[in-house]
Amino acid sequence: MRIEEHPILSFDKGRKVNFIFDGKAYEGYEGEPIAAALHAAGILVLGHSHNKQRPRGFYCAIGNCSSCLMVVNGQPNVRVCTEKLQEGMVVETQVGKGDLR
Amino acid sequence: MRTTELAIIGGGPAGLSAAISAASLGTKVTLINRDDDLGGQLIKQTHMFFGSQKQYASIRGIDIAGILIKELEKYQDNIEIMNDATVISMYEDGVFSVVQNEKYIKIKPQSTIIATGASEKFLTFPNNDLPGIYGAGAVQTLMNVHGVAPGKSVVMIGAGNIGLIVSYQLMQAGIQVKAIVDASPKIGGYLVHASKIRRMGIPIYTSHSIKYAHGTDHLEKVTLSRLDEKWQQIPGSEFDIETDVLCISVGLSPLTELLWQQGCEMRFVPELGGHVPVRNENLETSIKGVYVAGDVAGVEEASSAMVEGRLAGLNAAEALGHTSRDLEDKRKDCVEQLNSLRSGHVGEKILSGLSKVTV
Amino acid sequence: MLEKTGVATEQDLKNSIPSKERLAKGPVAVIECFQRIPCNPCHTSCKRGAIQPFADINDVPVINVEMCNGCGVCVSNCPGLSIVIIDETYSEQEALVKIPYEFLPLPEEGSFVTGLDREGKPVCRAKVVKVLNTKAMDRTPLVSLAVPKDLSMTVRFMKLNDIYSDNTFVCRCEELTMGELRELIRKGYNTVDEIKRISRAGMGPCQGRTCRQLIMQELAASTGSKMADMPMTTFRPPVKPIKLGTIAGGADHE
Repeated sequence: MRIEEHPILSFDKGRKVNFIFDGKAYEGYEGEPIAAALHAAGILVLGHSHNKQRPRGFYCAIGNCSSCLMVVNGQPNVRVCTEKLQEGMVVETQVGKGDLR
Repeated sequence: MRTTELAIIGGGPAGLSAAISAASLGTKVTLINRDDDLGGQLIKQTHMFFGSQKQYASIRGIDIAGILIKELEKYQDNIEIMNDATVISMYEDGVFSVVQNEKYIKIKPQSTIIATGASEKFLTFPNNDLPGIYGAGAVQTLMNVHGVAPGKSVVMIGAGNIGLIVSYQLMQAGIQVKAIVDASPKIGGYLVHASKIRRMGIPIYTSHSIKYAHGTDHLEKVTLSRLDEKWQQIPGSEFDIETDVLCISVGLSPLTELLWQQGCEMRFVPELGGHVPVRNENLETSIKGVYVAGDVAGVEEASSAMVEGRLAGLNAAEALGHTSRDLEDKRKDCVEQLNSLRSGHVGEKILSGLSKVTV
Repeated sequence: MLEKTGVATEQDLKNSIPSKERLAKGPVAVIECFQRIPCNPCHTSCKRGAIQPFADINDVPVINVEMCNGCGVCVSNCPGLSIVIIDETYSEQEALVKIPYEFLPLPEEGSFVTGLDREGKPVCRAKVVKVLNTKAMDRTPLVSLAVPKDLSMTVRFMKLNDIYSDNTFVCRCEELTMGELRELIRKGYNTVDEIKRISRAGMGPCQGRTCRQLIMQELAASTGSKMADMPMTTFRPPVKPIKLGTIAGGADHE
């Protein structure tokens, strides 16, 4: 859900870009964090904890915690709350701790 | 390895202010900032600040960031800014390392001001890890920086200034705040903030706490409970509120890892948010040439952080051999500003905390 | 109590409410700031020097109401949004309450909104008389609400939708809504009797027992006339519905 109008702020968005999340196409704005684009699209569960399989969402938004680790363009353990969205990115839910490649 | 006269770690209100005052005396400053933009948490603060004109009272936090950056630009010949750069380690010989764009950079400064700020405290209750449960800072970032609503409705835990302000900001963004909950019998934040929330019809439940969060994949409902005089939950007093977001705003703790790594003498002072460095009146820690300013030295308002930054910048610059005719006046002015900001009812706690770590 | 609930009590407000004499002279600032916090923009922004200098920045503001002309500059400069302007000279029945309103959409001048008290409870219908939003106010616009005079010290906020809204029913028998009633009043039907004749409100089975008072209230709110002065409808028999057969008669009528 995007905030369309605000009494104090105006949001300078980048251009619209397309990205893939778990095989499906989504739209977001270039340069915004991947997590913001996913949240705006209503996706709250970004992964599951590797031991107890608990659903994990966005938590700190500034790259402090471990709640939003995902696979981005094949690279595991990317903190999507700070990683900037770019055209054509492939974002995947991470299973476990991620594999070394 | 790079060298610099003065390294300032942190580009928030304290770090920016320190950079301005040190550079204004001719010090060569390297300002290291974790984010893409300078300003730290100021860039999310849509409300008008308190204080007096010297601390930009009545101006919105977002605009104060702009004012400080502009002031900084006056001294750009003396300042090197490293954005998107995180200090990841600090050693006893004063050398520290920075990661910027996947590059590892070692820097040896003659002096350092640490202005790393604070991080949010977490809270324990069953299912506290469900998606939809966010820190107040995260909610601010999402809605005020990125323009994305955190959800449809919010229950706020914490009636301190941050909880009250973020609740108001949520309403401004068109998101319903269903309740503000605080375990304390009294509202901790400024009462004018509380009153402006209340007249929008939002209840503030003092002496209440969260007992349980419900939901399978994400938050759907919270159970609240009333507390007795001993802050214990009263059985049978529980009630539920349906909500898709729970926002946690139960205080901050100083972000002190780098101080520990340097070997600064630290003390645990609850009034200041946790472990903080012992410092002298020049804001210099137990290690010569290492200064602190802002929340890392003890959690306070941004107004005090800015003044502390100015003061630390002046002191560090002077110790490095820079001076000006009005240095003493400037320093006196900072000290007076801090004293007046801390002289009120809210300042009592801060002063009591500071008395335990100022040597 | 204030520090537990966030709502100022009568005790808190005692010293912040100007005297009747002062209120009768024209607009004045009412400052509801009761806690010592480090903050002084109300004083520094007051061009008339009415808000007294602070000896200590934590002092609670003190206003000399004789020097205040209710200009409203302090309202949008107060970081706590704790100041309103009250003008009890606005009209015979109504006072103006000017509040800071940092929300979108802004209300339209001339529209009706719901006046809220310090707890956010709806207390009246309020007319938006003016919306001031200058550059100097820096995104803290000032909304002037006309409210019943006895609520000038009660109304402190507003919500956009008028809870006495157009979709509520005024007359249950003939199904007249508030919106339809307001439209009739706008068209010039300005007495209870005229409204009764054009809308049938008051001619149903209850014979006006449900709607008459509401119609009078709305007429008073919309036209400014006093309920005491309103011409009444004609009351005709029967006062409650009876069977035609009863009138048509029977052998045992007396």
